[in-house]
Amino acid sequence: MNPLIFTTILMTVLLGTMIVMMSSHWLMIWIGFEMNLLAIIPILMKKYNPRTMEASTKYFLTQATASMLLMMAIIINLMHSGQWTITKIFNPTASIIMTSALAMKLGLTPFHFWVPEVTQGISLTSGLILLTWQKLAPMSILYQISPSINLNILLTMAVLSILVGGWGGLNQTQLRKIMAYSSIAHMGWMTAVLVYNPTLTMLNMLIYIMMTLTMFMLFIHSSSTTTLSLSHTWNKTPLTTTLILITLLSMGGLPPLSGFMPKWMIIQELTKNSSIILPTLMAIMALLNLYFYMRLTYSTSLTMFPSTNNMKMKWQFETKRITLLPPLIVMSSLLLPLTPMLSILD
Amino acid sequence: MMTYIVFILSVIFVVSFVGFSSKPSPIYGGLVLIVSGGVGCGIIMNFGGSFLGLMVFLIYLGGMLVVFGYTTAMATEQYPEVWVSNTTVMGVFLLGLLMEVMLVLYVLKGEEVGVVFKFSGVGDWAIYDTGDSGVFSEEIMGVAALYSYGAWVVIVTGWSLLVGVLVILEVTRGD
Repeated sequence: MNPLIFTTILMTVLLGTMIVMMSSHWLMIWIGFEMNLLAIIPILMKKYNPRTMEASTKYFLTQATASMLLMMAIIINLMHSGQWTITKIFNPTASIIMTSALAMKLGLTPFHFWVPEVTQGISLTSGLILLTWQKLAPMSILYQISPSINLNILLTMAVLSILVGGWGGLNQTQLRKIMAYSSIAHMGWMTAVLVYNPTLTMLNMLIYIMMTLTMFMLFIHSSSTTTLSLSHTWNKTPLTTTLILITLLSMGGLPPLSGFMPKWMIIQELTKNSSIILPTLMAIMALLNLYFYMRLTYSTSLTMFPSTNNMKMKWQFETKRITLLPPLIVMSSLLLPLTPMLSILD
Repeated sequence: MMTYIVFILSVIFVVSFVGFSSKPSPIYGGLVLIVSGGVGCGIIMNFGGSFLGLMVFLIYLGGMLVVFGYTTAMATEQYPEVWVSNTTVMGVFLLGLLMEVMLVLYVLKGEEVGVVFKFSGVGDWAIYDTGDSGVFSEEIMGVAALYSYGAWVVIVTGWSLLVGVLVILEVTRGD
């Protein structure tokens, strides 16, 4: 793609999300979402094969439906409150419709079906943008309407998402699908605590974006999209095997690493609000996530995975230089002692 | 009938939307779009918005739909699909009609005429009468406000349209 056009379109994606996050008028928020959607389609379609086109079409259809539902909720809110500012929603019907629309944009169950298919069909860099940047805008709107969200619906969607994210990722060997199911599960954790303490949603979003960025960049570095090609990392750059191990365990939520911080805070917040069965269930279902991360680490860093003999001798091509990778790795594994700092997110 | 004119026009509006979203050939979709544009103009006129209604006819039907009609005529096939030629299209159309009929019956029979009146009495565009320069209508003032107080909206919308063109060219360019 012409670099000038590519830059323009990428900037428009950023502009769309910025407009969503900074507007005070519901119509501008809708315009921001549409601008975001319109501009990300050519980024998803960077390579011109039928698979990317199918993935972009699926993404466009689901997100356009979600935008329409959002518009309907905005209009019902207008009818019942007479004003367009972003505060809580004044009508339960509008609140439910808006929550469903934003859940469709995020990929929460029962609207999660597009996430693995779209993520699998596009390149690794586009998948990175899709799973991290595109989650910011809907989450910011959910944060702003959180006083009026129906608790039952949101918690049901959250718990089902954690379940689907865990169970669905079990049978996958394609790395992009694994990351997609991991995204579904993390979105479930984020929305579970939204009504109780929205600051923790933002904390979880921050840590999730850091860890997902790290994982995707490690995949891009070794150009691997399947478990099999990831298991050849010991041959290409042995250091990244350890880094993959640490980051994956952090994503699974193991204690001395920073991925534990959001889960710990969320469980603490939920138990403070006298719900015990729910966080127990959520923690148990996060084990499913941990299982497939551990399977990746097993084949990548803990064992030298069996491969044919010609795979064991690799040409040393010029490695890609990813400047942001070391700080990201440090941030996504060592942030746990800084937990008291999360009070700045308020 | 005149008290329910907005309701009737809105029913025709929805039926024509069902007509083109059940996906016959685009030529017939354009035909139904003309009808829905005209009916939409009538709905807006009933709220007192003469300027916006005429803008629908002029810009939407007379500009965008004409271009759409020409491009579709260039790209059409030998036997375009009508609503009755394909079982799927007819099925979807009848389903949409059924939903609309049920809604109409719900509104009328359930004594829910409040819904109808909510849509045809409240919310007309207000008319201001300043002493010196005559009568102003709120809808034209709204259009004027778009270009003065709402400059940011114009910038965002203009940028979206530009990026829309870039995106479409990029997507259809292929390799």
